[in-house]
Amino acid sequence: MNIVNWTGILESLLFAAGDEGLTLQQIMKVMDVEEWEALQIIDDLKREYEESENRGIILIQLAGTYQLATKKEHAIYLKRLVETPAQSTLSQAALETLTIIAYKQPITRLEIEEIRGVKADHVLQTLVAKGLVQEVGRADGPGRPILYGTTKEFLDYFGLKGLEELPPLPDEKNAYEQEEADLFFDQLNPLIE
Amino acid sequence: MQMNIKTAGFEGPLDLLLHLIKQLEIDIYDIPMAEITEQYLLYIHAMQELELDVASEYLVMAATLLAIKSEMLLPRHEETLEEDFFEEEGVDPRQELVERLIEYRKYKEASLELKEREQERSLMFTRPPIDFSEYSSERTVKLEPNRVTIYDMLGAFNKLMRRQKLKQPLRTKITREEISLETRMEEILHELDVSGGWVNFYDLFPYYDREFIVMTFIGILELLKRNEIIIRQEGNFEDLWVARKDFIPT
Repeated sequence: MNIVNWTGILESLLFAAGDEGLTLQQIMKVMDVEEWEALQIIDDLKREYEESENRGIILIQLAGTYQLATKKEHAIYLKRLVETPAQSTLSQAALETLTIIAYKQPITRLEIEEIRGVKADHVLQTLVAKGLVQEVGRADGPGRPILYGTTKEFLDYFGLKGLEELPPLPDEKNAYEQEEADLFFDQLNPLIE
Repeated sequence: MQMNIKTAGFEGPLDLLLHLIKQLEIDIYDIPMAEITEQYLLYIHAMQELELDVASEYLVMAATLLAIKSEMLLPRHEETLEEDFFEEEGVDPRQELVERLIEYRKYKEASLELKEREQERSLMFTRPPIDFSEYSSERTVKLEPNRVTIYDMLGAFNKLMRRQKLKQPLRTKITREEISLETRMEEILHELDVSGGWVNFYDLFPYYDREFIVMTFIGILELLKRNEIIIRQEGNFEDLWVARKDFIPT
């Protein structure tokens, strides 16, 4: 198998696929290769982009698909192409709510409100409208409340391959120790200056 | 002590409590109720003084803190006073609150990590896929009926809005007239008739103009409601296809 050829083919395919990307199955099917071969080709192409400073694109895995994207280091140049840069980062409330849903899905609105200590209906509406959250079913019990979960768009938005790539929740014990350390340094800094 | 009211605001009473706990260097596992209640109430009063809207949840928490504080003052059963740990009859009245605080803090910290991911992701740009429709001889799209949900459409819509972010500065200025919803709907129906079959959802949005996109999207929803068009999807995460309601798929 002429490996150089295969990565070229994959490059063409990924270029065509754009932000829809290709799943491993699609790559295997279109290139007519085994899974291990496909993974090898993907890895080769990915490495080629990473190792060469002269290339401006990278191969990434988003929401279960492989895609080509521009290098992070060049974002500053790409942003110059945009006349009015979009301001679309999520609000703190939206981010916290989204985090709870991501880790605890499927989860009801009431359960979210219990954790956050405030009402969640407005934030939920926003998240649904942005396509980051969706209804995934109904819970048993009175009222059969709606269960929420994250979407594929959510994975893409945060650059995650899949839910398994969610960073592990901070251990409670560790968080406590970290705070102690923070407080200690907070006190130390003014003394140093 | 100087009261610094952050204009940024808190995400709720739990957020405020966590802030106080950190600022006053309180041990979250052994909260001095009198002190924290006093500080919390000071904060609430300050917010009210500044005529800021104090959400009801803050007041509920104030009442909760006062209740816990009073409970701590009540004499406990004689036997349990001897013990260092709390038995069932002598449950620490602070326990539920502490558990809630720790739970909330867990997700609050996790959200900061996700925020970093959000920012990193925003540095990478992608392209829409190549449109192969010109290259295919016939539109032989075989589609099985299945349930397309509003979430699929919202996902497609959001992808569209994202794609219009990278606009070339070389775009010509088009003197745009106000687009009426009815007009756009007629145009959509016309396009469907002309194609004589299924049209790709994204092809209904030829211009990357925000108002045009929104109008088209609303038009599609309205036409769906009026039962004049149908939408199909080949499988999960595949493209959406639109057609006239009376079009009989082969």
